[in-house]
Amino acid sequence: MTLNLPEICTVDSVTPLWKQRMPEVGKLKAGEVLILDADSVKRYDGSAEALIIEVHRCAAAQGFSVEYRDATSVIAKTLKIFNPAVFSDHTAYDLPPRNTHTVVQVGEAAVRIWRDIVDVLAFLGEVVTSGLSFLVRPGRLRLRDTMLCIERAGMDALPIVALIGFLIGLILAFLSGSSMRQFGVEVYVADLISIGLFREMGALITAIILAGRTGSAFAAELGTMKVNEEIDALTTLSLPPVLFLALPRVLAAAFVLPFLSIFAVFMGLFGGFVVLWMMDIPAITYWQHVFNAITVNNVLIGLTKALTFGLLVGLSGCSHGLHAKRSADAVGQAATASVVGSLVLITIFDGIFSVLLFILDI
Amino acid sequence: MNDTVIEVKDLVAGYEGRVILKDISFAVRKGETFIVLGGSGCGKSTLLKHMIGLHPLLAGEVRILGHRIQGGGVAEREAAMRSFGVTYQSGALFGNMTLLENVCLPLESFTDLPSDARRLIAEMKLELVGLKPFANYFPTDVSGGMKKRAAIARAMALDPQVLLLDEPSAGLDPVTSAELDRLILRLRDTHGISFVIVTHELASIFAIGDRCIMLDAETRTIIAEGNPTELRDTSPLEKVRTFFNPAARQG
Repeated sequence: MTLNLPEICTVDSVTPLWKQRMPEVGKLKAGEVLILDADSVKRYDGSAEALIIEVHRCAAAQGFSVEYRDATSVIAKTLKIFNPAVFSDHTAYDLPPRNTHTVVQVGEAAVRIWRDIVDVLAFLGEVVTSGLSFLVRPGRLRLRDTMLCIERAGMDALPIVALIGFLIGLILAFLSGSSMRQFGVEVYVADLISIGLFREMGALITAIILAGRTGSAFAAELGTMKVNEEIDALTTLSLPPVLFLALPRVLAAAFVLPFLSIFAVFMGLFGGFVVLWMMDIPAITYWQHVFNAITVNNVLIGLTKALTFGLLVGLSGCSHGLHAKRSADAVGQAATASVVGSLVLITIFDGIFSVLLFILDI
Repeated sequence: MNDTVIEVKDLVAGYEGRVILKDISFAVRKGETFIVLGGSGCGKSTLLKHMIGLHPLLAGEVRILGHRIQGGGVAEREAAMRSFGVTYQSGALFGNMTLLENVCLPLESFTDLPSDARRLIAEMKLELVGLKPFANYFPTDVSGGMKKRAAIARAMALDPQVLLLDEPSAGLDPVTSAELDRLILRLRDTHGISFVIVTHELASIFAIGDRCIMLDAETRTIIAEGNPTELRDTSPLEKVRTFFNPAARQG
């Protein structure tokens, strides 16, 4: 068999050779001869060198011999630079196979979630320790950073919180109003929205917004700082990263969420008002029902939840950011993990609140 | 003229109308190692980024193997872009890919070669830079010098005739830096690749530079052109001689 290398032996001309002729080369047996003809080659590139090496690799594996026609020394030059024996081991660099068995994947996911929770709790410990050192020396907390975080997490989030809060109130009112109207008690939609938003929905919605908007930003910011070795620089300056980077963010998240929650509640109440106004309920009646339904307990429960959720979002974002690996990919993963972690924690703690409030009959 | 691989004519470079470099003209010949040097902030990296089309030219023209990088059609730009490879200061390897996958990426994007051929070519490029045993490592698992070598392997994946290296020795110890210099010379000799290297490392400049241009932050243009050793010894400009003789500067 003869394998002719073309005059311009570059990737465009080598590709058909590789696809059509190399399978034939792969069928040659011991004792057979392959003539590798490079006499006419005037220009060649890495793909031609690879073809020459591949022929020699096949020859070594299958036992056939190779004869050269090499007037232009293309083959000789290639073999001088590359030793075909070096490339004989195809499997040495294979990536470890990924285990795709469902049971294994479920197990790995469970372990990951468990580690996440443990990490966040351990991180909570670090933040509390840092918080205590801040109480001893309040000057160590970077107030300017904290204020900046409050502005970004709080003030800058007002438009999206307003929109979502308004729409949630509107949807709640529509859903409940259309059913209650059949019984002529649509005016009680005001009570339902008021209690629902103050006690549960206000804190929950804003916490989800904060997790997606601010928690992920915390993780990405701190993750990028880790990639740029800024965290290492802080550590070597004996400045604890948790105190200087995490504490301002966690405090900011915990501080702004109750305010955002109250803002979302009032926007939701306004959304409900629009629907009931369309149902010919007088404004005075609507607002009277709303304020009658508000109790100190409901407001305090909502605010406590908001404070807790804010703390969790801040902790999850900072924990994932500071524990990110050192690559761009890892920063993206940290941001995603922080949002997922926040949502899981918010759901768990919301459940705990519900059980506690039921037991305490509040 | 047939020897010219890169031709820069009356180039004016800058950002948002602010001129950083002006009246830049030079030519890089086939098979030579051409150094762009100068002090910090003189616009070396700016020149490189404008040459490879990352930023629009304010004026002038850059031709790589006769193709205009800007100012021509899309086909001309693509032909120019395929004819060179670039490495950046940090290596700029993709962190979620192994070294082998990094080198394979351009081959996957621009050729129809079967996967085993692509893989073999990538392995051969890594072998050229001495990294074949580390083919399956991720960039985070290798040293700074290895990252730079892997970046060179990736830049060579499509067999460009010109390689442009931005500060290849930055952050490397003298021994690793010298190894990298030897690699550049070897690739130039075995594969006939022309190099354009942005650097201010004197040891590298004298070790590998055939010709160089020196940029000046004050005048914002080229103040010297020629062989580095000749410039050091015979340049009429004190600024140039001082750059090449740091000991004299300190003394």
